Amino acid sequence: MAALLDPPLLRRLEALALQVRRAVNGQMGGERRSNARGRSVEFADFRNYTPGDDFRLIDWNAYARLDRYMLRLFVAEQELPLSIFVDLSGSMDWGNPNKALTAKRLAGAIAYVALAALDRVRLTVFAEGPTSGGAPYRGRRAVAELFSRLQSFPVGGQTDYARLVWPIGKQRPGMTVLISDGLGETSIDSAIAALGRARQEGAVLQLLAPQEIAPDWTGDARLRDSETGVEREFTSTPVTQGAYLEALSHRMHEIESSAHRRGLRYARLSTDQPIEDMVLRTLRKLGLLS
Amino acid sequence: MSFLVPAAAFLALTLPAIVALYFLRIRRPTRIVPALNLWPDQIRDRQANVPWQRLRFSWLLLLQLLGAAILVAAAVQPTLSAGTSLARHSVVLLDVSASMQAHDVKPSRLDEAKNEIGGLIDQLGPQDRMTLIAVDSTPRIIASVVGDRQALHRALDATNATNGQADLSAALTLAAGLVRPGDDARAYVFSDGIVGPLRTDSTNALPFPAEYHRVGVSGENVGLTSLVVRTEAQSRAGYLHLQNFGQQARSFSLEWRADGRLVDVRPLTLAGGQAEDLVLPVPTGATLVSAHITAGDVFALDDTVTAVARAPRAFRVLLVTPGNVFMEQALRVRTDLQLDVVAPAAYKSSAAYAMTIFDRFSPKSLPNGPFIMIDPPAGTPLAGGSAVGIGRTSATDAGDPLLTNVDLRDVHIARSQDLRTSSFGRPLITSLQTPLVLVRDEPFRQALFGFDLHESDLPLRIAFPILVENLSEWMLPPSVPSHSFHPDEAVTIVPETGATSVTVIRPDGSRGTLATSSIATFGDTDLTGLYTVEQLVSGNVDRSWFTVNLFSEQISQLKPADRLTLPPVNTSATTHALHRGQLEIWPWIALVALGIVVVEWLAFHRGL
Repeated sequence: MAALLDPPLLRRLEALALQVRRAVNGQMGGERRSNARGRSVEFADFRNYTPGDDFRLIDWNAYARLDRYMLRLFVAEQELPLSIFVDLSGSMDWGNPNKALTAKRLAGAIAYVALAALDRVRLTVFAEGPTSGGAPYRGRRAVAELFSRLQSFPVGGQTDYARLVWPIGKQRPGMTVLISDGLGETSIDSAIAALGRARQEGAVLQLLAPQEIAPDWTGDARLRDSETGVEREFTSTPVTQGAYLEALSHRMHEIESSAHRRGLRYARLSTDQPIEDMVLRTLRKLGLLS
Repeated sequence: MSFLVPAAAFLALTLPAIVALYFLRIRRPTRIVPALNLWPDQIRDRQANVPWQRLRFSWLLLLQLLGAAILVAAAVQPTLSAGTSLARHSVVLLDVSASMQAHDVKPSRLDEAKNEIGGLIDQLGPQDRMTLIAVDSTPRIIASVVGDRQALHRALDATNATNGQADLSAALTLAAGLVRPGDDARAYVFSDGIVGPLRTDSTNALPFPAEYHRVGVSGENVGLTSLVVRTEAQSRAGYLHLQNFGQQARSFSLEWRADGRLVDVRPLTLAGGQAEDLVLPVPTGATLVSAHITAGDVFALDDTVTAVARAPRAFRVLLVTPGNVFMEQALRVRTDLQLDVVAPAAYKSSAAYAMTIFDRFSPKSLPNGPFIMIDPPAGTPLAGGSAVGIGRTSATDAGDPLLTNVDLRDVHIARSQDLRTSSFGRPLITSLQTPLVLVRDEPFRQALFGFDLHESDLPLRIAFPILVENLSEWMLPPSVPSHSFHPDEAVTIVPETGATSVTVIRPDGSRGTLATSSIATFGDTDLTGLYTVEQLVSGNVDRSWFTVNLFSEQISQLKPADRLTLPPVNTSATTHALHRGQLEIWPWIALVALGIVVVEWLAFHRGL
């Protein structure tokens, strides 16, 4: 666990919570407002109000004292089912810092936020096909197991986004985060479309390495595709590099447009960005965390 | 066209090599990319992608082949025949005398000549050699039989103009000594033609042909050519001669200064060719006077002249004679002589006199000092043999400085004592019958005339006062001569008795130390201006001065000579197989190649 995320970062993540735009129903008690009428419990704690919470549960006395919206945790709450799909295909095993490792750390950070809030986390990694990360994780005690499982997944293989359509579609209503570089022989659009169709609070996090955003080499080379192994002779010049950057920009724009068109959150991340910065700044700005 | 390095043509193998490289599959490093489909399929046929593929047209390949071909062309160093005919050994005589400082051609005649010589150096082939000789009053070799063009350029660049007059005869003699029999040599004289007298007789025939390359175009110059300070009617005045050597009238102002203080300013206008003499006041007590004109002409060296204004120290001279008005008048010409005249009967030896002239009288004991003995009576120690009739007179040595400006052609002498057996000294003036005047340096400078001046028309000739002046100056040289010298002229300085140090301070402030034990010659007089001689005598500093001025009408007239009559060529002494000079064009070709490479680079980065 320590290898995946530092304890100081974990402590800072505990202050965060997943932010949903609409109420969700979980199977077990959690910290999310549920459509189901649960039984009342005795007062347990306060926590920060986040949009989506039942405003009726706001402790107005605390607001008068602290000038902050605080939620009284004595009402019956339901968990938020969170599904994380992590791309561990061959194209992710690239860059410095490595995209796959960064994706694992990012997924771990988001999962930790959910687990700390008693939300349920389902982990799925995918390359040629989806691989389940095991039974859903719940509670802080599952953090170590989830991290260990996350680190144990190998990286490689060819991406087939079409094979994500079925597992995404079968998700129970909740939040789904798709972490991928969006690259590969097939288009990621099918997976985004499936995410849009599902009753999901969806987010697409496109993770790229700085070396593919701005290639740092010129001259003659034999290019080899990291997933297919296909090779091609190439001469990098300012002109050809410009064509590559244009194609990359077009691909990123396609993914962003596809996500927004389906009401999904979209963020573009670079692996040279610290995890703290990604989570505490980018994802909060995106509205995924609060 | 010829090639200096034809062996470099083997570099042409690079052309098929480039094509071969195009054919051969290049070794590319493998780079793994996340998504190959993002990378454009834009590889061009800059290099082969499969071994031995078909040759396709490529602008880059064309530019590379063109660039390589041009570089090979530059490497063989092609040369074109230049306009100048060169011998295998070119002897270049560069006039660096005073007149070459004229700037009628920009930046100056010397720089123009150096430019032309630089072009000549650039045309030297690998087998050619060049010798550079700087010609001034003392010609000197600045590069001897050198084939290294860079070394020649360096030697040429380091050559500066002097203030002396060009001695081209000496330079040609020097050049002739460098050419061995059978050498293919040729001399090139770069000069304005303002040179010293040329000996063009056959005895000075050159072992190589010589070309005169004229430098300079104009003779428009106003110059100060003489300034002397003389005592007239108890007052001293400066006599200045100036002349407009050009064709156009010039108006200018003359500044007259004494010890640096402005005394007078005179506006002057001189028509073309006009000369003018001015008498200018010299303030009492002045040490130095100078004249300066601002004529705005092309030659500055003769625009300022200086002269020593202080009267020289006087010598006491005794003339012992029964009566000789000629000698008396001749001695009085020299203003620094204080002359006493006594009859032989009244003669008493005295150490107060620096020089004594005995006319037809000889004392019992001769003085220990300079004297002139004229027609000593028979029976006296210096008397010669019985009188002999004299025919024509002549100088024993025409170049003897004691006979400078002394014209003996119209001098007649009735008779003279026979001095052929005299051991007095060396003959100065002689005849077919007997030496007439003898001189000696030891134990003192002394002269012996064998004839009575009254039995000769010598006193009636202009040669007489000049001869007396020469002899008296020789016997009584001033410690430091106060008159003006020409640049590079040696100055004789006689240290004062008891002087412990003699220092000469040049116009630029540099100092030179002379020996105090003997008569010294100071030759470092290339700069014009005032020279100060400081002598330390008994703890006191005794200062005296002399000046160096151009004072040369030949130089100041500046007009370059269209033709220069050079000595004849001794055709049997050497061979003359001229060839055209070589003009190397490889730098231009290399420049074109560089342009091609730049175009190729641009084409590559534009994805052609």
